[in-house]
Amino acid sequence: MSARRGTIAPRSLDASRIVRGVVLVALIASSLGPLLLLGLWSLSGRWLYPAILPTEYSDESWRALGGGALWPALITSVALAVSAGVVGCAVALPIGRALARLRGWRRHAGAAAAFLPVAAPPLALGTGLQVALLSAGLGGTAAGVLLAHLVPVVGYLSLFFLGTFTLFDARVEAEARTLGATPWQTWRHVLLPMLRGAAGESMALGFLISWSQFALTLVVGGGAVRALPLEVFALVRAGQDRAAAVGALLLVVPPVLGLAALRWAARRTSMMPA
Amino acid sequence: MVPALELRAVHAPFGHGPGLRDVSLHVGGGERVAVVGPSGVGKTTLLRAVAGLAPLDDGQVLVGGHDVTTFPAERRGVVYLHQAPVLFPHLSVGGNVAFPLHVRGGRGDAVRHRVREALAAVRLDGLEGRSVHTLSGGQRHRAALARAIAARPAALLLDEPLSALDPALRADVGAAIAAAQAEYGPAMLLVSHDLDDVGALADRVAVLLDGGIAQTATPDILFARPATLGVARFLGIYQELRGEVRRDRAITCPLGTFDPGERLRDTPAGTVVTVAFRAECVRVFTSARGAGVPGNGARASVVGTRHRPRGSTLVLRLDDGAAATLTEAAIAGEGTDHVPGDEVIVTLDGCGAMVYTG
Repeated sequence: MSARRGTIAPRSLDASRIVRGVVLVALIASSLGPLLLLGLWSLSGRWLYPAILPTEYSDESWRALGGGALWPALITSVALAVSAGVVGCAVALPIGRALARLRGWRRHAGAAAAFLPVAAPPLALGTGLQVALLSAGLGGTAAGVLLAHLVPVVGYLSLFFLGTFTLFDARVEAEARTLGATPWQTWRHVLLPMLRGAAGESMALGFLISWSQFALTLVVGGGAVRALPLEVFALVRAGQDRAAAVGALLLVVPPVLGLAALRWAARRTSMMPA
Repeated sequence: MVPALELRAVHAPFGHGPGLRDVSLHVGGGERVAVVGPSGVGKTTLLRAVAGLAPLDDGQVLVGGHDVTTFPAERRGVVYLHQAPVLFPHLSVGGNVAFPLHVRGGRGDAVRHRVREALAAVRLDGLEGRSVHTLSGGQRHRAALARAIAARPAALLLDEPLSALDPALRADVGAAIAAAQAEYGPAMLLVSHDLDDVGALADRVAVLLDGGIAQTATPDILFARPATLGVARFLGIYQELRGEVRRDRAITCPLGTFDPGERLRDTPAGTVVTVAFRAECVRVFTSARGAGVPGNGARASVVGTRHRPRGSTLVLRLDDGAAATLTEAAIAGEGTDHVPGDEVIVTLDGCGAMVYTG
């Protein structure tokens, strides 16, 4: 059957569908494949080369979760990441708004300053921060690690809110003010409700950024703050593969939940006036 | 009587030029005053300065006789309505209308009653619970007006209220504005660049040119008697010809000679003037006619016809020798059957013409 002018031939449609299907399968396989392997490792009782699959299965590593170091490390990581998300949002929101009000070279300079901690290598950043936090008596403490995480978190989120407020309609504030609302009432009754979705997105983003901080936690925490990435790394170095696999799977779950929260918050964002 | 809104010698910066200078204006309670002017002259800046949303370099803003120049926007007792309605997306229609009452501490039945009244005034009864995202364009304009009515300001400031609206929506919003004023009689200061809107909406019109008020008058007087050549040019309904004052004080111009009456009594003979006239002031006579053709007319040829919603005009080229001048004459009566190339005689009805020196 020949194609009419202005239409796509059926054979081309089939080929593009096949290519899309192959790419999709490859993406899913590359994402889920390592997780499946980790799952197998965590449940393997005996798995030696050249066996493709474990020859024996055991849930011993999962049952030992409650009594080992992984569970407290998970709680520490979640607490750090949630705190970084919430505090980061509260700090970055007014920074982003201030940046959005700048014009010309001042805005570019402000955005560059906010981006600097994001661009700097974490190890370099951590080394500098360690010196400062040690001087303040916060080296090796959870508070010190949180402050260190906030440096890249606030940087990212300031840029996020710069984008948010660039799109934000300034007429909304003007309208509220002439209707009798003070600046505080405008914030409380108009701006913050309109920014609810963006705030949710930013907290989820801050959580994900903090969750992935290994070098900063190691350098600033000095090994005293036992976050989950550090525990997993220690298990790998000790050759405890099954326990390490359990820990690695635990590392994946909260970010997946965080991403789901991000998507949910993004759908509910409504910043444009009607 | 104390005006509801008064501007005294207001100076406001805007753009890179000198800005607004020495702008004085007053609006009585229940009165609608329109500020018109070319794009970029500072109309919106003036309105925002009155609302407290833009700075003033000098001058005073008085609301109900009280000087509010140094007051923040929320304490001035005026509500500024943007050209495109700005409704708060997280609140329902009722929530939006109740907003000015809530921020002043209003609660309960009193607020609900006021909201119902305001919505009824603009024909949005029963829509309190609707999301603002489901409103049509006209409904959004009316919801914003209802919210302003609920706030009961002494003055409403409307920025281009009918611009960018289709004819049906213009009528809808225009009626809502009238209803809003009938509700409790606030002063209204509105800006527009559309003279048709202004003629329909305003009791008085102030023309803003070159940073200052060039003329303030009722619409009929403004359109019939622009005070300066700049105002006449801004109105866009006047044509210009160069003329000269004769010894007998008559004005002679390419369209003939006419008596300006008392207007140029003290102007020396030989003074060059600008004659501004509307198409309706041009009389067209067929060359072939004998009796009845005025002797002081000018010869012209018909170039074509221009059709507009409110009437058609003949486009003419004057045979004045020095330069070809296109003049328009309103088609009425004997002008209706002319075709391009026709030779005609045209005269100017001096009563309808404006004469400017300098």
